[in-house]
Amino acid sequence: MNREPTADALGLHERASATPARAEFQPASRLGSAPAWTEGTLGLRAQQEWFAAIVSTAEAEPAPVDEWSAARLVKPSATLSALARIEIYRQGYHARLIECLVDDYPVLQHALGEEAFEALCRRYIARHPSRAPSLNYFGRHMSEFCRGEILPNPVFAADLASLEWAVVLGIHAPTAPAIGLEALGQVPAERWPDARFTLNPSLQVLHLTYPVNAYLQDYRNHALPVMPEPRANVVAVYRTGRSVWRLELEPTLLKLTESLSAGATLAAGLGEVQALLSNHSEEEAARLVTRCFQHSVASGLFSAVTI
Amino acid sequence: MANKFSLPNLGIGLGLRTAHYSTITAEKPAVDWFEIISENYLGTQGRPLDFLDEISAAYPVVMHGVSLSIGSTDPLDFDYLRELRALRDRVHARWVSDHLCWTGVAGRNTHDLLPMPYTEEALAHVAQRVRAVQDFLGAPLALENPSSYAEFTGDSMREWEFLGRLAEDADCALLLDVNNVYVSSRNHGFDPITYLNAIPFERVVQFHVAGHTDHGTHIIDSHIGPVLDPVWQLLAEAHGRTSGVPVLLEWDAEIPSLAETHAEALRARAFIGAAA
Repeated sequence: MNREPTADALGLHERASATPARAEFQPASRLGSAPAWTEGTLGLRAQQEWFAAIVSTAEAEPAPVDEWSAARLVKPSATLSALARIEIYRQGYHARLIECLVDDYPVLQHALGEEAFEALCRRYIARHPSRAPSLNYFGRHMSEFCRGEILPNPVFAADLASLEWAVVLGIHAPTAPAIGLEALGQVPAERWPDARFTLNPSLQVLHLTYPVNAYLQDYRNHALPVMPEPRANVVAVYRTGRSVWRLELEPTLLKLTESLSAGATLAAGLGEVQALLSNHSEEEAARLVTRCFQHSVASGLFSAVTI
Repeated sequence: MANKFSLPNLGIGLGLRTAHYSTITAEKPAVDWFEIISENYLGTQGRPLDFLDEISAAYPVVMHGVSLSIGSTDPLDFDYLRELRALRDRVHARWVSDHLCWTGVAGRNTHDLLPMPYTEEALAHVAQRVRAVQDFLGAPLALENPSSYAEFTGDSMREWEFLGRLAEDADCALLLDVNNVYVSSRNHGFDPITYLNAIPFERVVQFHVAGHTDHGTHIIDSHIGPVLDPVWQLLAEAHGRTSGVPVLLEWDAEIPSLAETHAEALRARAFIGAAA
């Protein structure tokens, strides 16, 4: 039940004005036909629509313009044809967005393999082109996208993508300092039952089919993660300070978290936890309830207590 | 000559990259200033801003954008501009820059710096948009010459003429990327000195240098590796035409340690000193 930190490198992709180095020019495999609107003189708007349509066409597809039409708009250089010059932009467009998704989903990339992940990214880019100035949230549809894709295990892939995306969101979400034992010590004993707790504002709770948090941790530990068997589990992802944490929530901790986030008092929340432990002796149940609360505080799940 | 906008010579700076956050905040290295990629800090209320707040409190910061899309025929995105302005005010950015390009059309963003046709139509279009952006920001916008891999058959002027006329028509500042001048000169077969000769240097408020990748048939502005000698020579030539303009190194792939990146940037001293 230990919480695991997520290192700086995950989920923080960089935008830059550079053209991705992987944009090695490869001639288009075959040519498509010219769009009708290449006829005549193009104004600025039509020219931009024409150029963008080519640049954003999937690289697996032929360029939607032939060499003759391309040369009507773009000058050839001494070494490259007009179409070849446009291809540099088409390949740069896809390479940049793939880089962004690799930054967001390194473990999914590992799970699927580089080639399959890149193919997935290309389909994603075609389905979810960016409409925002920033790439910070470009990858937000990946989990849902995986569910509809033909993959070896789309549910596992979707779960893993959910967890990795939660880390990205955790990085960008507002947070608040976790309350510590000092703050709790200031609550008079007689007021404890009525105390209400505010959960960390960055907290996300993921209900998952596969134990992907352990898989992700194995990856981070440079172990060789193995595709796990399904096991329903719940993972909390949240940030305190500059650290993003992943914490698997056992049923008691999940119950406490849900109760307190719904506005229950501490007494009511702990009562709900205790109800889960009816198959334990009264003494053991009390010990587990206490441990559950201590663990929730030690994990930094709460940002305020009010009485 | 002093730059027309009285913007300060900040010295030799580095592009701020996440790989260096921890080193910068822990060690407070003696870097003159940092340039941020504006869009990395938009739509976030989390850790990137937290680092940026700390860094901008300790160092001068300049904002460099990649999504203004000043040449697009889509309407200007004032939600984006509002965020940009708020970020500028938050980090006390000394100025805001972006590229002479377009990044998308019909609501889509390619996140690439797509080439402009250099025509009278495009010039009038971009100039009025630059003026609108400057009015909104209440400050001069610095426009950077992009690297390009294509030129258009309908061009009625070369990039240097377009850039010079645009700067005058819109009364904007210029960020002259000498690596981009070099890359484009090789891709399009022109003399980079011809380019420099057309630049109104009193409007140049910043230089960029970077590495590039030669693919034989063309050069890619990859920002990988050290700055190559022809680019340093162009910096010397260009910087000598100013009375002192800050220089910034962009390094965006296979990024080395901060110390190594900074050492590479400081090589500029030899070239701007010689040209001064």
